[in-house]
Amino acid sequence: MVRYITRRTLVMIPVALVVSMIVFFIIQLPPGDFISGYAAKMSTSGEIMDAQALAQLREAYGLDQPWYAQYFTWITGILTEGDFGYSLSYNRPVADIIGQYMGITLLVSIFTMLFTYIIAIPIGVLSAVKQYSWFDYLSTGIGFLGMATPNFLFAILLMFLSFRWWGDPMLGLFSPEFAEAPWTYAKWLDLLKHMIIPVIVIGTSNTCELIRVMRGQMLDEMTKPHIVTARAKGLPEWRILVKYSIRAAINPVISTIGWSLTTIFTGSTITAIVLNLPTQGPVMHKALLSQDMYLAGSWLLLMAVFTLLGTLISDILLALLDPRIRLERKGA
Amino acid sequence: MRQKISVLGMALVLLATLLSGCFGGGAQNSNGEAEKQSEEAAAQTTSTTAVSAGATGFKEAPMLAELVDAGKLKPVGERLPEKDDVMVEPVAEEIGKYGGEWHYPWNGPDDKWGIGMVTEEAMFRFKADGSGVEPNVAKGYDVNAEATEYTIYLRKGMKWSDSVPFTADDVVFYWEHMLIPETFGKALYDCYYSVDPATGEKARAEVTKVDDYTVKVTFKHPNVMFLERLAIDNKWFFAPAHYYKTILPEFIGEEKALEKAKEYGFEDLKNFGVWTGYYYWLYPQRPTLRPWVATNDMNSDRFIMERNPYYFKTDTEGNQLPYIDRIVLTKMQDKSHKLLETMSGNVEASTFDFTDFTVLKENEQKGGYRVIPWTTPSWSSTGVQLNQTTKDPKLRKLFQDIRFREALSVAVDRKEVSEIITNGLGEPSQASVPAGLPNEQPGWSQQWTEYDTNRAAGLLDEIGLKWDAQKKFRTFEDGSDLTLTIYQEDTADNEKFIELVRKYYEAIGLKTDVKIVDQGSFFDLKYANEIPVTVKTVTVVNVAYRPDELVPLRVITPWFGHYGLYTSSQGKEGVKPEGDVARILEFWDKVKASKTKEEVQKWTDEIIKLHQKNQWVIGYTAPTPVLVVAKNNLKNVPQLVFSDEFRGLGHAHPAQFFLE
Repeated sequence: MVRYITRRTLVMIPVALVVSMIVFFIIQLPPGDFISGYAAKMSTSGEIMDAQALAQLREAYGLDQPWYAQYFTWITGILTEGDFGYSLSYNRPVADIIGQYMGITLLVSIFTMLFTYIIAIPIGVLSAVKQYSWFDYLSTGIGFLGMATPNFLFAILLMFLSFRWWGDPMLGLFSPEFAEAPWTYAKWLDLLKHMIIPVIVIGTSNTCELIRVMRGQMLDEMTKPHIVTARAKGLPEWRILVKYSIRAAINPVISTIGWSLTTIFTGSTITAIVLNLPTQGPVMHKALLSQDMYLAGSWLLLMAVFTLLGTLISDILLALLDPRIRLERKGA
Repeated sequence: MRQKISVLGMALVLLATLLSGCFGGGAQNSNGEAEKQSEEAAAQTTSTTAVSAGATGFKEAPMLAELVDAGKLKPVGERLPEKDDVMVEPVAEEIGKYGGEWHYPWNGPDDKWGIGMVTEEAMFRFKADGSGVEPNVAKGYDVNAEATEYTIYLRKGMKWSDSVPFTADDVVFYWEHMLIPETFGKALYDCYYSVDPATGEKARAEVTKVDDYTVKVTFKHPNVMFLERLAIDNKWFFAPAHYYKTILPEFIGEEKALEKAKEYGFEDLKNFGVWTGYYYWLYPQRPTLRPWVATNDMNSDRFIMERNPYYFKTDTEGNQLPYIDRIVLTKMQDKSHKLLETMSGNVEASTFDFTDFTVLKENEQKGGYRVIPWTTPSWSSTGVQLNQTTKDPKLRKLFQDIRFREALSVAVDRKEVSEIITNGLGEPSQASVPAGLPNEQPGWSQQWTEYDTNRAAGLLDEIGLKWDAQKKFRTFEDGSDLTLTIYQEDTADNEKFIELVRKYYEAIGLKTDVKIVDQGSFFDLKYANEIPVTVKTVTVVNVAYRPDELVPLRVITPWFGHYGLYTSSQGKEGVKPEGDVARILEFWDKVKASKTKEEVQKWTDEIIKLHQKNQWVIGYTAPTPVLVVAKNNLKNVPQLVFSDEFRGLGHAHPAQFFLE
């Protein structure tokens, strides 16, 4: 097992490097660079930048060099000093910016994930137990609706309703009076109130898949011989469910948990922009649009690393949870 | 099982709180406490203000009186300039009262100019009617008869926001150690050069200290527009010497300066210089003269600017301004959020483009605000510009043909455009100097405005444009394809107008393409002379103050394309101006070498007349207003002219806004 993990980890390094290089190249592909976008933005607010000022800025940021030279400087910084470079639009080290948004991003993502699992797993189980009942149809229907509705549209709808009914579109995560306040009970309550829309919006898009997976797995499991045996022996139905069917059916869910690692750390993007959430998604979106390469590049690199890590974790979890897989590997 | 999940959930929530506490900690300050204090202070206002008013006749905000009582701050009389040198700011409606927060959505530091203008204190500022300048930070000025010597008087006892005295040394320091060495990445402003009337040669001004409160600016040749151009080019003709001596490499050495830069989060000295020297109002460390000063990191979700205890203005009753305690800038990721927040009544004052007129009006009652339309000095609200130096030689010849411009002008039904695009508020009109501005030309607004497609067709025939085989589109005389490509920045909501204008152009047989590009690409394309047609207007109060949009001095306004590059590169690159464009430049040199204001007026009129004759900028509807939205309880918001020259909303003197 240890050998397996070590080998997998080692393979990840070249993959991450190649991904980072491709990413860096692609960010630079669109015409123009950070400075031209910046100068255009400034000119709309009345500031005029002449060619000399532009050249000076390009030189200061090192944008006058070819992309591979910039990439080399950047990647050497990361590998030797853990320095992710410098964000051109924020004028601050990239690590600072990622740090600033990490707490809230994790909070929103984890809440959303919990919401998804807490809602989806019981519904999946129930729809399997009561297959083809009205509950099954209803939950599946709602689930599919949630999946099919674009997140941003759903967010706009809920914001509109909130504005109509309470006169407040619930933008952001805090009301102004709580923004700088210390963490009190009232502030928590305020935060929870503001989390309703994002959690519902982001959560419902994933519940459907989970419900269907759970339902399918349960249906498979419930007719297995050992369940029939258990039932014949007179075990209560709920014990059979919890102890045997769910335990086996939950496997695919657990094994994909690792894949959500990226989502947890980045949060959603478009929904966060629509709802004005101070999370990583919008920051990265802006970085990509303005060709703030080091910020965008670092983010995409991190995402790549998280994806790789997530896959590894999933594999390990699966091996730990399912004796069959573990044994097969040993046998091989 | 369920219990386990909830325990796990709580643990995760706690973890997340901890994390957000650690990472976001920097941005959270003890404002909650400060608010409580100011509330308590409000309760005892009457007693404290009475005490401090007794001594000097000046009154101050409760939140400051509290600090004075606690011995943390000097009394208001000692913080203001000497009694005769205090600037009395007239209020727009009534004497206000202290307190409150101004919620001001912004897009983060990219929006720095918006808040920069609102809080700006210029050496000389434009009068409310825009007719000229008046002293602001300066107490007054003298100018000799030849307009070569300007003596600027400062206010005795005036202080920076960190209590250090503001003197002539701060002006001379700024000139010697920042402007001339270009520490903040801007070349020395044009207003500091006078022009030799005979040779056209430029000579740099001299700035000298006369005494602690007097500065003299001397020119070799007359510079009659100096104060007006200073009010535009370099409003803040001063900088806190004591602060810059602690960060500029000239004083502390490269190495120490780089260390400082790293402390501020920068990686190089150039950007450090630009941000702390040019966008200085965003840094809490940097003392200013502004009514509100930064208190925290501009990248926080809420950037807060708080009243400057040393602000040099009072109202007519001796109350130190500003009235409002704080400006709270909440970061909004999309511009629609600003609209949404305003509609829900969460924004005290803000400005909007005319596009949002209907939706703002519809929600006026519900949001509890009022929409105050400010006029703009734009030449039109819809129109097109043809690049006179466009790359394709056949197209360039066509664009330079005045008959073609007239054809494009009369081919459009202005009434329809006015109804569809501006709700009828922008009258059908030609692009022209709006009424009431210095160079207004009678009758210009109705030049070539009659909707007449036959006339357009006749003009195109006269030019020699042929029809293609299907008689659908026009071609060049030699039968080659003729396409007008309209470029448009993706941030401007002009698609509706472009579609409309395309319909009219195609109706007279001109094939029209539209390309929407992002702001950065648009900027690059403009520099590369790749933009043949664009839908932009020009906005200018007085060409003598700011010539950029009407005189081709550098690449900036699409109509003159690379003529501008020719001037800025001294003839090394670009396209050599000929005919009337060359005459504009000639007249501009005459403006700069003028000895009297009458002369300035005469030559700027000549420039404008050339614009009238040639109509390089074509307009279809008269300008629409900019919308200032103020909550009903925000008072003293006047109705003025909105322009960059006058500093947008800053022209309303927000220090005297108050919340009822």
